[in-house]
Amino acid sequence: MAERESPLVPVYRPGSHGNFAAGAGVRLLETRPGSIVQAAAWPGEERRLAAAIAAVTGLALPEGPGAGAADGRRAAFGFAPGRVLVVDQQDGLAAMLSGAIASDIGTVTDLSHGRTAIRISGDKAEWVLSKLFAIDFAPAAFPSGAGRATLHHDVSALIQRTGERQFDLYVFRSFARSFWTMLCHAAAEVGYEVA
Amino acid sequence: MSGRRTETGGRIDRLRTIRFTFDGKAYTGHAGDTLASALLAAGVTLFGRSFKYHRPRGLVAAGVDEPNALVTVLRDGTREPNVPATQVEIFDGLVAESQNRFPSLSFDLGAVNGLGGRFFGAGFYYKTFMGPVIGPLKGTRVWMLCEWFIRRAAGLGRAGRAADPATYERVNAFCDVLVVGSGLAGLVAARAAALEGKRVILAEADATMGGSANWSGERIGGRPADEWAEDTTAELAAMDNVRLLPRTTVWGYYDGNTLAATERVSGHKAQAAKAEPRHRTWTIRAGTVVLATGALERPIVFPGNDRPGVMLAGAAERYANEFGVLPGRRIALFANNDGAYRAAAALAAAGAGIAAIVDVRPAISEGARMLAGMAGGELLLGHAVTGTQGGTALSGISVRRFDAGRPTGEARALPVDCLAVSGGWSPVIHLASQAGQKPVWSDERQAFLPPEPTQNWLGAGAFTGAAITAEALAQGRAAGLKAAGGKADRTKQPEVEAPTLDPAPAPVFEIAVPDGREKAFVDFQHDVTADDVRLARREGFVSVEHMKRYTTLGMATDQGKTSNVPGLAIMAAERGVPIPEVGTTRFRAPYASVSLGSIAAERHGDLRPARLTPMHDWHVEHGAVMQAAGLWFRPQIYGLPGETVEQAYVREARTVRAGAGIVDVSTLGKIAVQGPDAAAFLDRVYTNTFSTLPVGKARYGLMLREDGFVFDDGTTWRLGENDFLMTTTTANAARVMQHLEYFLDVVWPDLRVHLTSVTDEWAGAAVAGPDARKVLERAVTGTAVDDAALPFMGIVRGEVDGAPVMVCRLSFSGELAYEVYCGAGHGTHVWEALVEAGEPFGIVPYGLEALGTLRIEKGHVTGSEIDGRTTARDLHLDGLLSKKKPFIGSAMANREGLADPDRLSLVGVVSLDGRPLNGGAHVTLAQSGPGGLGESIGHLTAVCYSPALQKYVALALLRGGSALHGTRAFVSDPMRGRFGPVEIVSHHFFDPEGSRLHG
Repeated sequence: MAERESPLVPVYRPGSHGNFAAGAGVRLLETRPGSIVQAAAWPGEERRLAAAIAAVTGLALPEGPGAGAADGRRAAFGFAPGRVLVVDQQDGLAAMLSGAIASDIGTVTDLSHGRTAIRISGDKAEWVLSKLFAIDFAPAAFPSGAGRATLHHDVSALIQRTGERQFDLYVFRSFARSFWTMLCHAAAEVGYEVA
Repeated sequence: MSGRRTETGGRIDRLRTIRFTFDGKAYTGHAGDTLASALLAAGVTLFGRSFKYHRPRGLVAAGVDEPNALVTVLRDGTREPNVPATQVEIFDGLVAESQNRFPSLSFDLGAVNGLGGRFFGAGFYYKTFMGPVIGPLKGTRVWMLCEWFIRRAAGLGRAGRAADPATYERVNAFCDVLVVGSGLAGLVAARAAALEGKRVILAEADATMGGSANWSGERIGGRPADEWAEDTTAELAAMDNVRLLPRTTVWGYYDGNTLAATERVSGHKAQAAKAEPRHRTWTIRAGTVVLATGALERPIVFPGNDRPGVMLAGAAERYANEFGVLPGRRIALFANNDGAYRAAAALAAAGAGIAAIVDVRPAISEGARMLAGMAGGELLLGHAVTGTQGGTALSGISVRRFDAGRPTGEARALPVDCLAVSGGWSPVIHLASQAGQKPVWSDERQAFLPPEPTQNWLGAGAFTGAAITAEALAQGRAAGLKAAGGKADRTKQPEVEAPTLDPAPAPVFEIAVPDGREKAFVDFQHDVTADDVRLARREGFVSVEHMKRYTTLGMATDQGKTSNVPGLAIMAAERGVPIPEVGTTRFRAPYASVSLGSIAAERHGDLRPARLTPMHDWHVEHGAVMQAAGLWFRPQIYGLPGETVEQAYVREARTVRAGAGIVDVSTLGKIAVQGPDAAAFLDRVYTNTFSTLPVGKARYGLMLREDGFVFDDGTTWRLGENDFLMTTTTANAARVMQHLEYFLDVVWPDLRVHLTSVTDEWAGAAVAGPDARKVLERAVTGTAVDDAALPFMGIVRGEVDGAPVMVCRLSFSGELAYEVYCGAGHGTHVWEALVEAGEPFGIVPYGLEALGTLRIEKGHVTGSEIDGRTTARDLHLDGLLSKKKPFIGSAMANREGLADPDRLSLVGVVSLDGRPLNGGAHVTLAQSGPGGLGESIGHLTAVCYSPALQKYVALALLRGGSALHGTRAFVSDPMRGRFGPVEIVSHHFFDPEGSRLHG
């Protein structure tokens, strides 16, 4: 099997960057999941879709827009009516979901190559993301597990809160290098560490 | 140094000395000083030259309302012009300079303008330049001649040309309650809301929270007001749900309770921290806003009121109390209200001599009389200041009796070096005006009070017209509670010790001296005088909007903070109508100047994100010249050393036709169309039929817009019964997606179809040329690629060097060709394997130029021809218009005008003079040349040198279309001077039978 290449290679510089006077405000990491899959339900079939996702991943998806769950290895969250992004560090999720989601429930679309996953964590994660996205990152408005679909100018992004101070971002692969560069600029003020 | 600094007092840190430079001269000040207070302490009275007349000007204010003392701050080789010296915090190494003076501030040649003052009155430019004929020059020509001189003589500071090395940024914030202004009302509002548990942001334009508590000299809760404010600020700072934003000016109030603010992050520091931005623009989305923006003092208009040394009374008080600086040794006050009396007492307490208090009112309140006693000096009630003396500093004033609205009796001279003036107070209603109805005039306060809100805001403090501190505190607490939705009053109202004063000023705005020679200024920053306002009335510009534009009153960088109300009042008096009848000016954003850098923020130097294909780095490493295509970057050519662009693309295209070439097609839009109704959906959106397409096959498809014109084209691959992969042109990918989503969501919500952008999921490489199959045979495993296994428009799955691929046999070049798709992460891996497999056949990578050449030779259309104005018939694609089914655009495509045989339609054009053709050039049937132009019958859409034909050729859209084949015509391109003979031919230049396609 061929190795999957990251679009960030020339700009991904592990180590400490920016203003480190008070330590690293955030930590940035490309998580490189094996599987990033969209599962989408026909109207009225959302519960059956959630059940199928739960059967495959073990993740119980709460109801409601943007609701999601994550267990460290797998994650899932709604980002549009009837649409859920399901992520697994392992390969092969698309095939498993296709087996579980019949055509009368919805569709499965493999995006494993097409999206780049970036994790930002640390005390200043909300602050740095607030520079790029016009959404409320406070825990009350954006609880753990939940997902959001948003945009930074031309770059659309899906964001899931996967911890008290941790967010996973999914951006289009072709924009990933530009986005990463912008994210690093935004983080420089508080100091950042690339893992 | 003349030693204007007091011995004690003020909030400055006297133990810390700070060194800075102004106009090349070294000065010192203390931590806590502004540039204005430090220079004033050093005895500087002259701060700038005025806009039109170059009159010497000094400090008028102590805050954001300062109209005169605009300076340019020099830093890191760049210039920040037009910053009020009152807003510049000094730091070690600060370098600032004055503006609008030549050769120096104290000796300014432009001051001669003052002598010709009557020629520079209101409307000067209109009258002089909008039409008169002077000799051979018409008005606009005169203007062009004079503009250079005028622009040098008049104006403000100038921006530099060096690139700004500072960084700027933007940030988004959300809160339940935004409090604008941290005076006492704002502080208690923030605390009340915060104690209710709400998320609170408190924004303050100054460096220190507390507003006028820092200089009022009042006592709250038994302590000095500034200490009380400091403690309250500390209490707020310790709360997790409160964000304090000092040095942050909220300057715009937009829909949805969205406010814009700019924070001065590091400009006040000697050394910014690493990666610290200079300014940061905040977009704040607030549940409720509490406007506690205070009030600004107004000057009184009288002859010579712009002499350096004439300043606002509140400013004089602030310099003494907050900065420990006396604006004069011997000071007079001039007032129409009680407020100036507190200033008089404060200045006296700080050590200044009070010469006199001049008040237009015949009687004053007890409180004012008590303060006058503390201040000392003469109390001249029923008097007015009618003139000033001095040059670059005040030496004296003239005072006369003031009776029934006019000066009477003999003038009396008073030698003073400072005159502190108070003409009443104007609440700062700028933001309220942006988010409210018309401001409301109050006769009692002689001021515009906040309007009815049209958005969710509450007011508190001097902003509402509240004149005393106890009222401000009560309003602040009530507003904070209400904004937080709280009811219980948990905070104890502190005791306020302040003199009891009458808040109502006398309605006196101007001391008009009949046949006075001295100018009386209304707008200091734009040099607009009371006579200019009168002139505007005489010439018919009587409404506020006309007066403002005719005189430019209120249109300088301070937006009339000190001048709007006096200007209105003078116009009202001239017309004999009440002030509100003249009109009210509404305020636009921004409240104060905003740096452009902070608006551009992170997009500075990087305006748009770059979109890169998976093979981008390979292209660059292999000599590709990258070319922007929308947000994408694509190889234009892979030039060899010494090659021109034309030589490179001709070599590339020739190699494709002779052997094999490979091109990156990853940028094509790709949309997964999935679901049980996917085939039916495609039948509706494409002009041709897709439901009959077998699994494992692809088909070229054409889409029309609803109006019947061609929208986009591409191939769509059927990967499964309910699973299609649609490709679109690179440029139209997003538009096609929107178009399809619109129809699914709005028109046919019953169809079970999901659309997903998978453009980035797949890397695509097209291998084209007579040897293309041999290349694939070497590279692809797991499937046969011969004609039986992979016929034209067939799709197979296999592997290239361990990476899964889909291969579709389709051609854009007219050669035997295949598109190899793989996961984007394998893109470079597969590409390199294909290039390696092609080495024995001399494969070359080719760029957009060669791609374009190959398609022009074949007469294939792209966005150059699908330009939004062409129909399927125009492009000879009408064979794709199904007659068996309706599709988007089918009804409108048959409109008379769209079927007109006279429409421009696609042909080929060959250059007959052996010279290159230009895209966009016109075609004429009659000879065209520099001497005369024939009638255009259309234009060239795409041009190239065709290596297959060994001629310069073009595609063109011409009236008459195919009927013109074989006709001689001419290209006509007068813009670029290209004329010459051409022949009109079929657009199928090369291999019209398509024999090579099936190789």
